[in-house]
Amino acid sequence: MTGPLLVSLRVLALSLPVIVILGGWIGWILARKAFPGKMLLSLLVQLPLILPPSVTGFYLLLLFGKTPFLRYLGVLFSFPALVIAASVPAVPIMAQAARAGFSSVNSEYEDAARTLGKGEGHVFFTITLPLARRSLLAGLALSSARALGEFGVSLMIAGNIPGLTQTLPLYIFSRVETLNFAQAHGAALLLALAGFSSLYAVRMLEEGRGR
Amino acid sequence: MLHAEFTCSIGDFFLETSFNLGAETGVLFGPSGAGKSMTLRVLSGLKTPSDGEIVLGERILFSKAKKINLPPRDRRIGLLFQGLALFPHMTALQNVAYPLPSGREKRKKAEEWLKRMKLEGLEDRLPSQLSGGQRQRVALARALAAEPELLLLDEPFSALDGPLRRSLRRELRRLQHETGIPMICVTHQAEDLCSLGSKVIVLKNGRTLDTFPIERLWEKGSRGEAWNALGWGNLFRGTIARCGDGAGFCFTGRNVRLALGNCTNMPGEGVVFISPDTIRLLYPSLPIDPELQPNIFSGAVQETVLSGNTVRIYLETDDGIVWQSEHPAESYRELRLEPGSRVRFSVPPSGIECWIRGEAREGYSPPNFA
Repeated sequence: MTGPLLVSLRVLALSLPVIVILGGWIGWILARKAFPGKMLLSLLVQLPLILPPSVTGFYLLLLFGKTPFLRYLGVLFSFPALVIAASVPAVPIMAQAARAGFSSVNSEYEDAARTLGKGEGHVFFTITLPLARRSLLAGLALSSARALGEFGVSLMIAGNIPGLTQTLPLYIFSRVETLNFAQAHGAALLLALAGFSSLYAVRMLEEGRGR
Repeated sequence: MLHAEFTCSIGDFFLETSFNLGAETGVLFGPSGAGKSMTLRVLSGLKTPSDGEIVLGERILFSKAKKINLPPRDRRIGLLFQGLALFPHMTALQNVAYPLPSGREKRKKAEEWLKRMKLEGLEDRLPSQLSGGQRQRVALARALAAEPELLLLDEPFSALDGPLRRSLRRELRRLQHETGIPMICVTHQAEDLCSLGSKVIVLKNGRTLDTFPIERLWEKGSRGEAWNALGWGNLFRGTIARCGDGAGFCFTGRNVRLALGNCTNMPGEGVVFISPDTIRLLYPSLPIDPELQPNIFSGAVQETVLSGNTVRIYLETDDGIVWQSEHPAESYRELRLEPGSRVRFSVPPSGIECWIRGEAREGYSPPNFA
């Protein structure tokens, strides 16, 4: 089980920055900017949340297998494919939370900081980000649980290659297929615990919101 | 010092402003929706005007012709928001330290500002743990710590009641005097106007109606003109002195004599202002509250104007003075007031605001006007 666990942790470590930066950025744009096609973007971003993972995986397979330039990158059925598979369904969760978080920050605080002589970057990191903190952390907890538990898309575009692209969820699937329930139990319990703690973290963040 | 001339529109609201201000306190005065707050946003750079020019001292902040538009951070214009906008996740000290450059001096300077605003001991409180007046002073300290060249105040007293208002106004006058920073203050209350400003900029429906030095309000014969521009409240010019019987102070104007409640120890030439909502109408059949006894007048209803939940009544006394009174729409229904009805009303001494001529100008050199 150590092999798949290590793969899973590496995937999580590499997909988290993608999820946070991409999801946070999309959430910020949706919360603060007005532009044509905003509605379409918000729908597209949410799409991976409700599509069956096999469908998302299928389109990614076409994208990376058929598009001339992407095809030669050789992403499919390798470790990078796992990172992509983990990120795609998790980014919408992060974007949703970030959008809610940034919308909740009264823009008067940012305006006040601007008139106090601070530039946009400084305002963002000292005012906007700390005030949206709770929503962002809740989004982070939920999206990392989603990334850690990613199964369908990974299977479609990264395969289930032991030692290379076999993550914990895929490992459980393989163990059950060979009727090796004892090993499946260990991995399943680990993932269930991770899921529970992420929900617990979200709950704590929500309860502390009023303070 | 400040020259502002710009046009700006949001939706179908159009703002056209033009005024000059020296090293003094300007008061933007006008009814709600006149464009006062928007004027402040444009000056501070938070809203870009469509045309015009804004010059502060030697610096061009905005010029359509020269394609200059400094961002808010480079304008050195402080803005005290109506809602104060204290950062809720920072303590009083961190709020005040926010505009200061980082370094060893930062904390010390912030502490000095807090001390100056009489906020010692409250350094570690969050804004939610401070009272309304304390929050106001923290916000003021923060705005001043940035060392602005111009300070804008958007209805700075709107959240405060009588005594706090007065003490904060005094504070502002003191700060203006000490720092010499020109200020523009938005208000729709005549009381603030008289005690703070040295120049009045009257806005209505997005236009600058009139700009005049506050001194003009004191000129003989011009009261009608200047105060009509403001258009609200009861204001009389005259003398404040000890009453004939030696008890308390009285005001004597041309046709009015009033016993005063709060205005003690300020004899001299002065102005009294009575906010319309302090005036009480009297029921003929009911005994009169002792508090209402001193200043009772009788007059005829000239006009009643219903706006929203309040009704404004214009009452003309036999001396020909027209008083404005304002009440919740449901009050005084039994009196069945209509134009021509006779009614008695009282001006409670405690509701009369007054200024002695010198006080309004405290800390300023008299403005130059012909």
